[in-house]
Amino acid sequence: MLLRRHPFIILVRIISWAIIALLPLIFYLILGEIVAGFFTHEVFWPILVLFTSIYYLYIWLFMFSSFVDYYLDAWVVTNYRIINIEQKGLFHRVISEQRLYRIQDVTSELKGFFPTFLNFGNIYVQTAGEAERFVFKQVPNPYQVVSKITKLVEENKKFHNLMMAEDKIST
Amino acid sequence: MEISLSIFYYIYLIFVIIYLFYTFSNIYHLVRFGFLSVSNITLIFFYLAVSILILTISWRYISQINWHQMISLIPQFQF
Repeated sequence: MLLRRHPFIILVRIISWAIIALLPLIFYLILGEIVAGFFTHEVFWPILVLFTSIYYLYIWLFMFSSFVDYYLDAWVVTNYRIINIEQKGLFHRVISEQRLYRIQDVTSELKGFFPTFLNFGNIYVQTAGEAERFVFKQVPNPYQVVSKITKLVEENKKFHNLMMAEDKIST
Repeated sequence: MEISLSIFYYIYLIFVIIYLFYTFSNIYHLVRFGFLSVSNITLIFFYLAVSILILTISWRYISQINWHQMISLIPQFQF
């Protein structure tokens, strides 16, 4: 099971950047007549051209960076372990994993207007390992995911106990 | 005191170089750590296409400007 944040999260970020991209146009529509003189001035016009170019280039870059940050945060649940992959900034990546039989508690949380109606939230996985708590952030269908993880944990614990018992008998 | 307008152009080029660096870093991260699916590749090409479009439109305006002209830092008042 591969989990990522709900698509609504990245949609909000992209819409925010799109609104910021529209600000110069809104500024021009409101103050068009007042700033018209800048478009023919020999010094202000070149600076305005360069500034506008940098403005839109960087908005586009930040939009793409937001997507990359969203896309590279992932949580993987297999039959044997859970893996937490977190991209914290462009040059900082943290990957941690934990065996299923070491999971002690799994909790889901749905908080807020949009999370409730779009059915996404956080899942907290309490483990007995070095990384005590894993957090699956803003994932879709958290209740179903918790139920699946709980079922996998139970099966894995049975299997693990069986293997431990077999090891004891053989020694 | 007068300076050349090209100083602003060189500052702009520095910003563009930084932009290219972060663009490369983002694409590198997507290719190395993400799944190389059709949608991913399409997105990368779309991003590059829009970047080239912005730079092309910018160049169209920048190329029409005389960057060698000198500008005065101290405003001259006439009485």
